[in-house]
Amino acid sequence: MATTSIAANAGKDPGAAARAATGRKRSEYFSLYLAISPFYILFAVFGLFPILFSAYLSFQSWNGIGDMKFVGFAQYQFMLSDQFFWKSIVNTFQIWFISTIPMLFFALVIAFMLNQQMLRGRSAYRIAYFIPNVTSIVAIAIIFGSIFSNQFGLINAGLQAIGADSIEWLNTPWGIKIAIAAMVIWRWTGYNAIIYLAGLQAIPTELYEAARVDGASWVQVFFRITIPMLRPIILFTVITSTIGGMQLFAEPQVLVGNSGGPGNEGQTMVLYLYEQAFIKNQFGYGAAIGWGLFVIMILFSLINWRLVQGAGTRGLRRGARA
Amino acid sequence: MNPVTAQRIRSTITHLLLLAGVAISIFPFYWMFVMASRTTTDVFKYPPELLPGTHLLENIRKIFDNIDMVGSTFNTLVVALATTVLVLFFDSIAAFAFAKYEFPGKNILFVVLLATFMIPSQLSTVPSFIVMANLGWVGSLWALIIPGAVNAFGIFLLRQYAQGAIPSDLLDAARIDGCNFWQQYRNVALPLLRPALAFLGIFTFIGTWNDYLWPLVVLIDPEKVTLQVALSQMKGLFTTDYSMVMAGTLLAVIPLIIVFFIGARQFLSDLAAGALKQ
Amino acid sequence: MAPTRRAFLAAASGLLGTALLGTSGCGRGSYLTPEGTLSLWYWNRSISDTLLGKAPKAVGVPFVPQKIGSDYKSKFLTSLAGRAYVPDIVGLNDDVATYFPNSDEFIDLYELGAKDVESEYLQWKWARGVTPEGRMIGFPMDTGPTALFYRPDLFEQAGLPTEPDEVAAKLDTWEAYLEAGSQLVEALPKTKMLPNIPSTVYTQALAQQATRYLDEKNKFIGDGPQVKQAWDLAVEANRRKLSANADDWSTDWNAAMSTGRIATFVGAVWAGQILSDGANDTKGKWRVCRAPGGAGNAGGSFLGITKYCRDPEAAFKVISWLQSPENQLVYGLNEMKLYPAAISSIEDPRGQHKDPFFGGQVSNDVFATSAKEVKPVYLSPYDNVINPAFISELTNVWSAGKNPDAAWNDALTEVNRQLSHLGLI
Repeated sequence: MATTSIAANAGKDPGAAARAATGRKRSEYFSLYLAISPFYILFAVFGLFPILFSAYLSFQSWNGIGDMKFVGFAQYQFMLSDQFFWKSIVNTFQIWFISTIPMLFFALVIAFMLNQQMLRGRSAYRIAYFIPNVTSIVAIAIIFGSIFSNQFGLINAGLQAIGADSIEWLNTPWGIKIAIAAMVIWRWTGYNAIIYLAGLQAIPTELYEAARVDGASWVQVFFRITIPMLRPIILFTVITSTIGGMQLFAEPQVLVGNSGGPGNEGQTMVLYLYEQAFIKNQFGYGAAIGWGLFVIMILFSLINWRLVQGAGTRGLRRGARA
Repeated sequence: MNPVTAQRIRSTITHLLLLAGVAISIFPFYWMFVMASRTTTDVFKYPPELLPGTHLLENIRKIFDNIDMVGSTFNTLVVALATTVLVLFFDSIAAFAFAKYEFPGKNILFVVLLATFMIPSQLSTVPSFIVMANLGWVGSLWALIIPGAVNAFGIFLLRQYAQGAIPSDLLDAARIDGCNFWQQYRNVALPLLRPALAFLGIFTFIGTWNDYLWPLVVLIDPEKVTLQVALSQMKGLFTTDYSMVMAGTLLAVIPLIIVFFIGARQFLSDLAAGALKQ
Repeated sequence: MAPTRRAFLAAASGLLGTALLGTSGCGRGSYLTPEGTLSLWYWNRSISDTLLGKAPKAVGVPFVPQKIGSDYKSKFLTSLAGRAYVPDIVGLNDDVATYFPNSDEFIDLYELGAKDVESEYLQWKWARGVTPEGRMIGFPMDTGPTALFYRPDLFEQAGLPTEPDEVAAKLDTWEAYLEAGSQLVEALPKTKMLPNIPSTVYTQALAQQATRYLDEKNKFIGDGPQVKQAWDLAVEANRRKLSANADDWSTDWNAAMSTGRIATFVGAVWAGQILSDGANDTKGKWRVCRAPGGAGNAGGSFLGITKYCRDPEAAFKVISWLQSPENQLVYGLNEMKLYPAAISSIEDPRGQHKDPFFGGQVSNDVFATSAKEVKPVYLSPYDNVINPAFISELTNVWSAGKNPDAAWNDALTEVNRQLSHLGLI
């Protein structure tokens, strides 16, 4: 399934097939394989063993120190019956949903605004939007702790000021998730905006000029030129933020701790893996969770890939018709 | 409404929106500065202290007394620069091949590449350490540079970018002129990939600079560690001198801002320049 | 080394076709410091750097202290798992019992002459570093005797006694403490009696008991009265609405402490340090006295010698010198505010200062009494798996209003599941 969808994607470059046909020479293949080989060589040396090791580990009971004990599929059985494992999956998806969609939307809007030709102070803006990505996570934890603090937080102060009831953000299921999502959005919006901006700069200005000559509106330009031309980059950000969201770890850990706060509402899949392996010394179980997580991630990325790919292709067709 | 006024209104709205975003973006950074210029007691004060204090130099002095800032910054610089250069080269050749050429096994290889991206890194700390111990690389900066020298993230990014940014007819023209793969890479792909390479370079540099858990595990001599590991040495079990740590963190961020500033020029120079290029 | 793992390593190496893997085996010749020296891992503020500077000369053993910061345990476990670059001497936290099932990774300190100094240290603290089989893997560093921290000004407004002796006498049991709490929150509606119920009631009440979750044969006894009592007290504190629901050391905790919204908490001696860092404005307003329910301990660490140590005898010399009663007093208590484990240093007048944060009270005096009265208790290697089940269900009680009986049953079910996963039942 994966192969076909990606093949379809790669095959859409019309020149590629022609070039491949004319250049089906050994020397060219050799160059191509040479070009992609560093990744696979380094992966074989440094990445393969850890994967085999953790696959092996998931069939063992091991506290990280003493001897391993073979337990067959017991870790996986335990995992499937483990309510905290399922809870961590649900949490991860909920947090992903409420963080990724606003994040990518804001990023696109910011990138679009920063890309305006007449904008003054662009380099100052760029630096400002880049800052969240380099602010120390410890500082961020302290600040978001203050913002969402149950009794003394900034948000609650605001709510009380307008006469509303304050919310114990870090004690309620949705409060915890919103706080974590806010942190994710805050840290990664600028980052994605900069990726989009790089993509926007690659769109030939002639396209915009042609649209302007045709009298296209701002909205038409955005949906008929910008979005379709950005499609590969949007696909990239969707896939990487899917993977990043599924592997969400640092934000919940600093905000609500290793067990995810009250009711484990902030416990994500990787946080659960980490807690099992390094806090509870259950490395075998941690490895099993890692594999469970891997399967979920593959499936979810595929779904997103197809969604974005499909939507993008439709957008492009619409754009072409216009 | 005349067009000039409309333009001015639109530009004002854009600036207001952007400025609101800026305020949100830089507030925690400002707060970091406030903490670095105060005492640890002030960090937790309620209501919080919103203005910078007078202890910045004292905190900076303390951090220099406690950890080897110069040495660890140098180590981090070596690792980050080496990794960035290697990543840019290896990722771009692979991405170019994946984006613009057909070869047997391409799709399967690309799927494998993407799949490796989805393995949680927390899982591999222990086995990676075993690999390094067997290679005799524990304690050496190579253990940080080499495994990070090429990555799926960058290949994926550049491949996506290349699909749109490198017109196939340009490559065909180059081929007709007798350029082989490497010449096409150098003469056609590299210049066109420059914005994406700048982005990848910046974020590889930042990622390597801020990497923490793996350097902590694999570097053994506390005198020869990276900046983040050195800063983490200041964390106590019960209490931590946060204002000192923040001062150190603030210093550690300055090089990143410089790198961003230089790198961003590569892809965010005037649109006019971009138009000329076209 | 586990034969299975070696076989696997070899197989994996073959698979990879890298001659490098597996040929050297793990760990041979992989040391942290040059031959003829010893390495010591510790974390910031666990041993005085002044003392460490003097140590090599004073003991006559060249050793290299290496300060490891956050994620200390991850680093140590990784080195043990890789069997390479393991420190000769290692600081261990209060979860020292998690190493008991693999006590052969450490050298039995009794074999190095630890018996000779055993009587100089608090017996309960010493026992926590010794496995049920009698192997000693951890040498006592600091301890965390507990006491009641309280605000006499708020007590006065609520009509409660204010002097430490009177408070200790009136609030001698947890029941009396909770009753006083009700009186206080009624008189001062904006103030809460305590920060939160899982750690300042349940954990602290449990820390005063002589048994905990498992007995020394690792049989589960956590459904017994020692746990249920602590649980019931926490539930009762919640019912009486005494808790500010502020997690330990969180922003809320610090803010509540500085603004006088919390009147008391039971905590270990080192919590005083956090309090004075976080709520320095309240300097002089706090006092300490004996905790309701008696003495308990929370936190405290150990030094161990791993089996990879190149010179155990020299390493033991280092450990026993660093943690000698005199050094625990001068460099531990007086310099680093680490509460000693050596009896004579607890009692020494040189450690009895008037503490301005506690309004000139000699707070160490209160902790000394507590430290000497802590009951020995067996902490099992699996407490880190069992305890969260109780804490998390207790959290459900206060945060989601879960029925306490249902929560208790769910906690036991979860523990049961975890224990069977561990193969203990």
